[in-house]
Amino acid sequence: MSRVMTRRHRRLAGLALLAAALHGGVTDAAGDQLYPSGPPNGVAYIRFVNLAPQEVTIVSPSAKIAIPADDEHRVGQFDAVTPGVALTGSAKLGEASKPIALKLVPNEFVTVVATAEGANGLSLTVFRDVPTDFNALKSSLAMFNVDKGCTEAQLVAGDNHMSVIHGVAPGAVGRRMVNPVKAQFGVACGEPAQATPAKLGQLDAGDRYSVFLAASASGRKVVAQRDEQAPFRP
Amino acid sequence: MNTLLVGLAALIIGDSHMVSRDHLITTLHDDLVAQGAAVNTYGMCGAVAADWIHPATVSCGKAERHGKEGPEIDRTPNMPSYHIEALLAKHKPNLVIVEMGDTMAAYGQRDLPQAWIYQQVHALTGRIAAQNIPCVWVGPPWGTEGTSYHKTFARVKQMSEFLATVVAPCRFIDSTQYSTAGEWPTIDGQHLTAAGYKTWGVDITSSLDQMAPQLEQRP
Repeated sequence: MSRVMTRRHRRLAGLALLAAALHGGVTDAAGDQLYPSGPPNGVAYIRFVNLAPQEVTIVSPSAKIAIPADDEHRVGQFDAVTPGVALTGSAKLGEASKPIALKLVPNEFVTVVATAEGANGLSLTVFRDVPTDFNALKSSLAMFNVDKGCTEAQLVAGDNHMSVIHGVAPGAVGRRMVNPVKAQFGVACGEPAQATPAKLGQLDAGDRYSVFLAASASGRKVVAQRDEQAPFRP
Repeated sequence: MNTLLVGLAALIIGDSHMVSRDHLITTLHDDLVAQGAAVNTYGMCGAVAADWIHPATVSCGKAERHGKEGPEIDRTPNMPSYHIEALLAKHKPNLVIVEMGDTMAAYGQRDLPQAWIYQQVHALTGRIAAQNIPCVWVGPPWGTEGTSYHKTFARVKQMSEFLATVVAPCRFIDSTQYSTAGEWPTIDGQHLTAAGYKTWGVDITSSLDQMAPQLEQRP
């Protein structure tokens, strides 16, 4: 198991959901090196996001993670998992439950978003992304559309509502590299001038950001924040 | 002597290329001292960028060297890692040189773990940049193919190109530009011969000479 793990990462490691997938105790595919060069079986990342009005829990037979419903804590950090290993568990919102069964590919980032909708009041949307746009001079913006009623979501910026990312269908993610600036961002579905604010603040060079759009009882809900990725040492 | 490097307070950190007596801890260190720089060098065998940020154990030895003293090399297993912020506070450098790449390049694997590399490289350069200290990142040399390190020229090229886009605000020195693939012999596929480390050290020093006017000085 990793020597460099955060408290949250250690908590995740206790989950049977991920225990089989987290690195450690695996064969060193690189052979008899004096030391390894990178994760022996590759690496992928998964995070959970709660866009429901109440706490959501991710459950396995041995443990569970609670994802709060306040905007500061709705978006979990990306945790490392081993590609190709089945991740199984379930998400629960009150009495509602949905199964989780995923297998990631190397370098994949998977975001599982829970919303309070659907037949039993809980829906999971899985976004799969293999980013290749790593650049320390730019900021990477991603918009995740979880609003089934918004067929073409767009991220706009500035007083003139300039389109930054557009045409993002429900269940899809749009991504774009931008200069690290401080701008007023918003998410529009239709008329750009009616955009819902996405508060990102100053973008920092080299950092990555996520903006989520979801439907809510009071209208469209937007959650925006900097991506966090747990340190991982194989 | 290039007067641009006179008075430079250089902190060098690196991986196993810094942890044996005839490696860069001797050659690059000596070259910079000869140019008039005050140099402190630290190496951790097998270390990745994250190991300089988060407490870790060093599996195969670490070394340090200060000024004109000789290198102190300790091969005791499972020693605690050096921490970049402690070294910055201790030595107050006006240039940090990071030599790293081989330990993160996933030799022998199909995919370069870009996200895993990026996160820790960005975190390490961020710690240095947060103190307004200019830095230079030295990428890996070609090495040789067909050994237990599974190093390939294609992956070294891929890793070097990736590092070039992700080490900012550090400047990048692409070590593959110093030789043709396989030109510098190695003892094990990854570590150069003594002659190779001498040449590599001279070449890095030459690159630093050229970069010196562009390196912002700490206020």
